[in-house]
Amino acid sequence: MKVELYNRIVASQLNRRSVLKGAASVSALAASGGLIPGMARADAHANLREQILAIPGVGMGSPTDADWQAVGELCLGTTRARFAEGEFEGVELTFMGLNNQNLHNFLFRGFLRPWEQYTGATINWIDLAQADYNARLQQSIATGTVDFDIIEMGAPFEGDTAGRGLLDPMPDWVKEDIDMDDYVGYLQEPVGTWAGETYRVSIDGDCHNFNYRTDYFDSEEFAAAWAEEGHEGPWEVPTTWQKVQEVSTFLAGKEDPFTGLQAHGYLDPLKGWGGFGFYFLASRATAYAKHPDDPAWLFDPEDMTPRVNNAAWVRAIQDVMDIMETQPADQINADPGTTGFQQFLAGTGSMLSWWGDIGSSARTSDTSVVGDVIGFSILPGSDDVWNHATQTWDVLPSGPNLSPNMAYIGWGIYVMARAAEGGELKRRAAWSAAAHLGGRDLSLWCSAYPSGFQPYRNSHFNIDEWEAAGYDRAFIEDYLGSEADSYNHPNAAIEPRIPGIFQYYSVAEDELAKIYAGEYASVQEGADAIAAAWDAITDQIGRDSQVALYRSSLGLE
Amino acid sequence: MSQDRLYVVTNDQITPGRVRAGKMMIWASFALLVLVAAWQIMGGYDLAADFSNWRPTLYAYMFFVTCFCMALVVRHGEQGKRRLFVVPATIFVLSMVFFPLVFGLSIAFSDWNLSSISGQQYNGFDNIRQMWQDDFYWNALTNMVWYTLAIIVEYAIAFGLALLLNSQIRARKFFRVAFLLPLMLSPVAVSWMVGKSMLEARFGPIARLARTLGIDNPSFFGDAETARAMIMIMDAWTFIPFMMIMLLAGLQSIPKDIQEAARVDGATPWQNFWEVTFPLMLPVSITAIMIRIIFKLKLADIIINVTSGGPGGATDSVTSFIFREYRDRSNVGYGTMLAMVYLVFIVIGFTLFMKLAARWMRPKY
Repeated sequence: MKVELYNRIVASQLNRRSVLKGAASVSALAASGGLIPGMARADAHANLREQILAIPGVGMGSPTDADWQAVGELCLGTTRARFAEGEFEGVELTFMGLNNQNLHNFLFRGFLRPWEQYTGATINWIDLAQADYNARLQQSIATGTVDFDIIEMGAPFEGDTAGRGLLDPMPDWVKEDIDMDDYVGYLQEPVGTWAGETYRVSIDGDCHNFNYRTDYFDSEEFAAAWAEEGHEGPWEVPTTWQKVQEVSTFLAGKEDPFTGLQAHGYLDPLKGWGGFGFYFLASRATAYAKHPDDPAWLFDPEDMTPRVNNAAWVRAIQDVMDIMETQPADQINADPGTTGFQQFLAGTGSMLSWWGDIGSSARTSDTSVVGDVIGFSILPGSDDVWNHATQTWDVLPSGPNLSPNMAYIGWGIYVMARAAEGGELKRRAAWSAAAHLGGRDLSLWCSAYPSGFQPYRNSHFNIDEWEAAGYDRAFIEDYLGSEADSYNHPNAAIEPRIPGIFQYYSVAEDELAKIYAGEYASVQEGADAIAAAWDAITDQIGRDSQVALYRSSLGLE
Repeated sequence: MSQDRLYVVTNDQITPGRVRAGKMMIWASFALLVLVAAWQIMGGYDLAADFSNWRPTLYAYMFFVTCFCMALVVRHGEQGKRRLFVVPATIFVLSMVFFPLVFGLSIAFSDWNLSSISGQQYNGFDNIRQMWQDDFYWNALTNMVWYTLAIIVEYAIAFGLALLLNSQIRARKFFRVAFLLPLMLSPVAVSWMVGKSMLEARFGPIARLARTLGIDNPSFFGDAETARAMIMIMDAWTFIPFMMIMLLAGLQSIPKDIQEAARVDGATPWQNFWEVTFPLMLPVSITAIMIRIIFKLKLADIIINVTSGGPGGATDSVTSFIFREYRDRSNVGYGTMLAMVYLVFIVIGFTLFMKLAARWMRPKY
């Protein structure tokens, strides 16, 4: 929604007074729960969800700070029910999080502004770019200078933080307030827990899904050319990486049906992204490397021997190399952010693996032009899968091997032990802020609008709510279906929650850059270099402890 | 008397008691510093109550330094006051350079990965051995040689511009300001405005212009040589004005009569430049080039923002590589060792360069 348009609507319908009235009504309803029939409460709750999803309205442009504040205010009910006004007066908290694409912390500020006004607490902000995140966190830990009370953090870092006693265990009242039972299956324990304690308020459920351009695959012109060139099968969205390769090669030299510029197939982000770029190779590799009979796919669980140089990973890297000529110019200098937001959403390329942000931004971001021509599915599979035990390629009787990449396992809000050391009031304030951000209703809004987060609760998959918010039913069924298929897949590839995981990814990015630039004689040689570097990191961090934590994260011990 | 009495304003009558008091001030404050530091170190090993941060030792150090300076006056009177003109600055330099260097060396000879539970472990020369086999580091050093050699071209352009702005041209003042503008931009801004926006392969205005000129797929960072050249151009665009302004100042300080005398003697414009102006400009040129080399050796921001060292390490600088090793991989010990070795290379390189420069600047005739 444009600012002026939003302001006009806010002035007539959703001004602060009416928002406060609405919030007061919601809290009054919650407070008088015993007197009001259950149906009425459910209706009020449904109304709240409907009300927040109308801010600013799908198709009305990117939300602004005023929208975030309005949503934060409407979702304050749980806080109001548990804490008195001004209860945290004088408490000062520091929050460390990201500022990617002006999302994450930008939203948190808006969501927490009404919380600050109500509770009396104040929050100081540490904003980090994605690529700076790992370094800032590691340095704080290693130098004993943790200067934040609340952190937005991914599960892969739990080994670095919870493993060192830096996090505060979640109080039971928070578990109640955020309704943890509503989380999708893979975000339930052991994710978010460490040695039996729960630490994480989930605000995101990460997986890479497959985004594609429907206009490409509906194109009769492409269909005719596909048949004419003698390709096997109809012209359709590829469901295996083998087909992705074939389609990408086919599209080279053709014209984009939407922009009229050069057509492109699958987009590979070829430049590193502070370690996060490695996930994009992993999304290509999981279908080859993650065998349904084996929980491991990155390292051997026995001794942390890297598998990144086995036949499956080498094949994935070779796939990238094979269609490099079909990529847009300068793709070798495009990181995942550029590829997702400046290329795919801006109309370049026809297929892309990314987190759910692409789907939630496609129709709600000002910079997206592909909202009406985008489709979603689970990541492609493979006709065969590498069997590490037998060292052979298996063809599964069930068909292509699918293994969605649960890349990063989603963002969560964690409270540091530092907050608890500041006294019980500060601890309660920190957890209250975390619970507000991880609330059931607020999270629905985050899933539906650009936020950096994707659906992660069972309650997020209610298509009717999305449709009422203005989403096209077919579009949202497609989008949420791809997410649900990934989350619930029995052969999902979940990364290890071990200390220093981003060191492995970062060094792999450096070596991959050399492989992509053709500086190794073969892909195998480059992959061997990654494996050697990974072994060195494991030895440096401590092989025994890494093996133990890795096995624990796989549920083997 | 050995002292030069010419500069003595007052004749100090320093009693033995004053001397003893001065010594006392120094040794007592030093003892306090040692005590606090020892307490601090023991606190780190849980042998004493922990101070939680290093501020007590820092305050004790500052107290010692203050006492030391005061004691100079107490012990040496007028002579001590004179020493106070130099001693604080010396102590400041020692504090800001020497101590960090010592701490840095202690880190450089250790295996310290921030994710490692065991923390910092001294590992002798292992980091040196690792560096010797590290293709990424040597590749970055090789790139630095290319980046540094590009200064020759930058110098030629800067000299040309300086000559232009030193001559009688229209709107000279305007051009002087206009040519200086790139220097006022942060390299980070340059990398975003030029590297990531203007040179963007699809929508960037330069890419559009290239397409208009018939280049189908303009690519500015797609291959090693082009990418390296683009980094050099962006860096040069930012810093050529700096060399230009120094050279312009040098040109303006050359007495006009020397050049006029040369013209009267029948020197051609080229001879006038090559035999008169250029030799006279050598000292300024050497200074400008040396400062430019110092800037160049720190080159990292544009690379980190635009290419992250790619494609395949073709644009990596030593600083950008250390940045990744240290920051992304939390490899503090090894990263520090790489920086220390780079420092040694720089010191040796600069010493040789200054020796050569001194030889070049000797009069030919």
